[in-house]
Amino acid sequence: MAVSTPPAKRLRSRAPLADAAAVRAPRTTWRSALRKDWRLYSLLVLPLLWFLVFKYLPMAGNVIAFRRFTPGGSVFGEEWVGLDYVQMFIDDPTFWAVFRNTLVLGGLTLLVGFPAPIIFALLLNELKARRFKRFVQTASYLPHFMSIVIVVAMIMQLVSLRGTINQVVGLFGADPVNFIQNPDWFRTIYVTSDVWQTMGWGAILYLAALTTIDDSLYEAARIDGANRWQQTWHVTLPGIAPTVVTLLILNIGSFLAVGFEKVLLLQNPLTYETGDVISTYLYRVGLQSNSFSYATAIGLFESLIGLVLVLSANAVSRRVAGSSLW
Amino acid sequence: MNRTSTSPSARTLTRRTTLAGLVALTGGALAACGGGGDDGADVSDKTTGAMKDFDAGTAFKATAPLTYTSLFSDQPTYPFKEDWLFWTALQENTDVGLDFTIVPASDYEQKRSLVVSAGDSPIIIPKTYPGQETPFVASGVVLPVSDYTDLMPHFRDQVEKWDLQSEVDTLRQKDGKYYVLPGLHEALWPDYTLIVRTDVFEKAGVPLPTSWAEVESALAAIKQANPDSIPFSDRYEGKSVLNYGAVAFGTVGGWGYGEGLQFDEDNDEFVFAAATDEYRSMVEYFAGLVSKGLMDPESFTQTDDAAQAKFTSGRSFVISGNSQDPSVYRAQMDQSIGAGNYAISKIIVPSGPAGDLIGGSRLENGIMISAKAAERDDFQALMQFIDWLFYSDEGREFAKWGVEGTTYTKDASGKRSLMPDINYTGLNPAGTKDLRIDYGFSQGNFSYGGSTELLHSMMSEEELAFQEAMTAKTPVEPLPAHPYSQVEQEQITLLAKPLQDFVDQSTLQFITGQRSLADWDAYVGELEQRGSTRYLELVNKAYAEAKA
Amino acid sequence: MVSAVQAPSPRKGRAGARAAKPVVSVVADTPGQRRFKVFAVVVLSLVVAVTLYPFVNVLAQSFSDSANIAAGKVNLFPRGFNVDTYRVVMSDRDFWVGYRNTIVYTVLATAISMVLTTCFAYATSKRHLKGRKAFILFAVFTMFFNGGIIPNYVLVTSLGMRNTVWAVVLPSAISVFNVLVMKTFFEAMPEELEEAASIDGLNTYGILLRIVLPLSKAVLATMLLFYAVSHWNSWFQAFLYLDDKDMFPVTIYLRNMIAGVSSTASSGAEASDIGMISANIQSVTMVLIVLPIVCIYPFIQKYFVSGVMLGSVKQ
Repeated sequence: MAVSTPPAKRLRSRAPLADAAAVRAPRTTWRSALRKDWRLYSLLVLPLLWFLVFKYLPMAGNVIAFRRFTPGGSVFGEEWVGLDYVQMFIDDPTFWAVFRNTLVLGGLTLLVGFPAPIIFALLLNELKARRFKRFVQTASYLPHFMSIVIVVAMIMQLVSLRGTINQVVGLFGADPVNFIQNPDWFRTIYVTSDVWQTMGWGAILYLAALTTIDDSLYEAARIDGANRWQQTWHVTLPGIAPTVVTLLILNIGSFLAVGFEKVLLLQNPLTYETGDVISTYLYRVGLQSNSFSYATAIGLFESLIGLVLVLSANAVSRRVAGSSLW
Repeated sequence: MNRTSTSPSARTLTRRTTLAGLVALTGGALAACGGGGDDGADVSDKTTGAMKDFDAGTAFKATAPLTYTSLFSDQPTYPFKEDWLFWTALQENTDVGLDFTIVPASDYEQKRSLVVSAGDSPIIIPKTYPGQETPFVASGVVLPVSDYTDLMPHFRDQVEKWDLQSEVDTLRQKDGKYYVLPGLHEALWPDYTLIVRTDVFEKAGVPLPTSWAEVESALAAIKQANPDSIPFSDRYEGKSVLNYGAVAFGTVGGWGYGEGLQFDEDNDEFVFAAATDEYRSMVEYFAGLVSKGLMDPESFTQTDDAAQAKFTSGRSFVISGNSQDPSVYRAQMDQSIGAGNYAISKIIVPSGPAGDLIGGSRLENGIMISAKAAERDDFQALMQFIDWLFYSDEGREFAKWGVEGTTYTKDASGKRSLMPDINYTGLNPAGTKDLRIDYGFSQGNFSYGGSTELLHSMMSEEELAFQEAMTAKTPVEPLPAHPYSQVEQEQITLLAKPLQDFVDQSTLQFITGQRSLADWDAYVGELEQRGSTRYLELVNKAYAEAKA
Repeated sequence: MVSAVQAPSPRKGRAGARAAKPVVSVVADTPGQRRFKVFAVVVLSLVVAVTLYPFVNVLAQSFSDSANIAAGKVNLFPRGFNVDTYRVVMSDRDFWVGYRNTIVYTVLATAISMVLTTCFAYATSKRHLKGRKAFILFAVFTMFFNGGIIPNYVLVTSLGMRNTVWAVVLPSAISVFNVLVMKTFFEAMPEELEEAASIDGLNTYGILLRIVLPLSKAVLATMLLFYAVSHWNSWFQAFLYLDDKDMFPVTIYLRNMIAGVSSTASSGAEASDIGMISANIQSVTMVLIVLPIVCIYPFIQKYFVSGVMLGSVKQ
């Protein structure tokens, strides 16, 4: 690696193998950039405007985390209360309990749910029988099309005392387990069903990425005598690495945002111990009771964590894998 | 408050109503206890379309055509139709048209909260239960309706005639006004109770139980006769049975949990219901049922569908239900078990250690009115219209039965019957049209409350017998008023909700046997750790202030 | 290509493999490879069985009578076969109005989404673009921070979009996630292609329309599917911003229906008001709503596969 620019600048402005333009002209002025790339910038106008209007304008309403909001009063709250609401949730033992639950549940989902579609896509890629492949693919998407309400209703049926799973348990002579009332089982049920629901759909991205891998690379590998595993390791995985990294970073950033609707429908007071998460707690305490300020304060905290996580993941990824979101 | 940048009208509105509140507090504190209108903003010139001599017994008809906006909670069982006879007949009779914002019933509360919180609600906001208006009081977006009851002769008349003043007074907020017009019932209206397989009871040789102790021994006898069964498997996540069960044990629970408070007459203060001996004995009772295999532990978590399936397929013999459920269950059981092979019936709500009590309130869900209404020229007509439609006998009869000669007939003795081709929850099984689905009458937005005569006029013989038997019970006293200020309200909410979560969780743990009742004292300690003491302090402070 | 160069292939990699198996036929599978394939087929078949079961179950329920459903007897095949509920739902005006609305919203929203997303993703995929990182951050930030429901409602109202099709179509137009996915794909495209095109005299617009997009059919099809499905299934925006029943999408119909069956009602009085919807109506509605997606999907998938062919031919 020839070092021709000062290290600091190199770190900031250069991803590995970035095209030559960036290296040649690290400091163009806005004027010349605009003159040169005005067509590219013109493409950005509408989307940026959209972000500004539909995302950033409403964000101003977050100020009610620090101002007391009265339902029906000003959108921006009635009076400054400083960090009162922040203090409130820091002092709230229930908040920390649900925070811990969220971390565990989100972490488990990431750990199990993230690799699943990759493995699935790789397995699918092995198939040469076009028709079977297409059938498997189509079938695996179906859960994604089903509304959460239906999915949860099905889970409830499966794990009920007389459900299919307990029938299987019974075959081994064990007593039926009341899965849905047992806090020890909540996470397993949630994560398993999550994988079931998202695996096929999540694989689409990887399958699309797999198609961009040049066949000649496999050819070369085969000539080199690489077996299937080696080909997967040295050609396939590197080929889909950018997609994997992008998705991983995003998943890390949003792993606190566990599926609200599903948790809400799956949980019951008996499983609050493991099953109650930030969003469901917010729903009960904040929205059902119209405590919008309190809910916003917690929401901001959650956002902040998400942002920090995604920024760190991105930084780590850039340094380690040389690939990043920006 | 003055640093904000909302629309100027919203701000002046807030200021004006605060001012009105101050006036009421200082000058009109005594008047607030009377039945008449309190001092409100001057609306004497808002007379467009209003009747000059509108009084109790007058049929309302606007003197000019009017239109008001309204929310509408749209039920999947009888979806909203624009051409319902309800609307056309209403327009014809009153010259008032309604312009609806349709909201799916599944998410009605969220949308209502949103439009009201955004300060952008329609004029009429129906299906609001007492207590649900509280969050919106402070900002002044909701009309303090108590200021304008002088425009509502039927309402005043009914409050007086049915002796409802003390109940209505419980709606008063810190400023002494109330912000929701409740649905008014002449008498308590019990609905939910246990529905049992009477044939199975007979076969086991046990009479229908009248107390919870008898329920237990009956279940035990049935269990003995059907050793493989769990005789009682409930629906509504147990919230219904805990509701009417708690009444008999002298406490609150399930749907009736409310603020989680009991009133201790002796010490003249509120106590935390879920920490009382009464609550404990209720929990002990149901835990006993579960541990003896008489009650299905899934009762508290299974879906209604699942619970219903167990009952209607003959796997369980006792379940909770309301007046409409027997006909629903029967329809399913005719198919699954076969007509003639079973018999079911609602039983009288069992009595308990606290006596033979009946819970509930004579106030039902009602309407909020947007504060913007008071600025309209047709404000007086609006109040008269609402007064007629929701509180006059004539308006109620219209909303429930429809148009005489078209949807129903009335014989000389005043007995109403549906037209032969019109059905309503099994009253006219041969009818091809449905009073709600095809005509829009008897639907939840506009038809509730009223005289016992009107309520009973649409009930089956079976249900009437149940209602008759329930009148022997003693009503539970309503809790004394204890309104909160805005800041108190916020603290109360943030304390009460996690406490309720914990109570729910622990109640179910005790009942299903996941936690031993020997842990009760530890549980009470945990309640205190979670702020039950602080919560009671706030409640009792508000109560003391309300008394003063 | 970026990815190819990134491949970590030092030390043991290919060299080691070559040493172990000197000459391997390029065409025929080794026994190991065959075993691997069998393994893949078995696992995938299992996955399919598990994924399909609940769906078949819903389908079976939709054709069964409620007594059999209530008794829990319906598994893979309908019991007490009947199509009454289909008849009821399909003769319901509200259902068809909702259906038509959903189609209109989905087509319009997907079109807008595709245009905005492609523009943003393409521009920000150019590494030399000044301010690129800021633009991406500008977008990514919104994935984590957003306004509450009330500010959004006030915004839509004050833009005069409430109770119009725009309220459904615009607020969810861009998914940052999709933007990033698309950007990653554009970035993986060989630079030389575009350089060659610009030497041929094409400007940015021309390159995007004539060179880049035709070569991106795979990702475009994927994005199309992503957006279309999410717009098709969405109900929250419509619920928030629409007042008029004739404008509701079919998802609101479904949601109200399901809530009518499963009681999560907050009080007794609410629960008594609903209820009594026959048990299989939700299955029927489900089937009818999912049907078009399932029908359209194979066509997109076909296109998707042809996009793949093109993609591999090109280099």
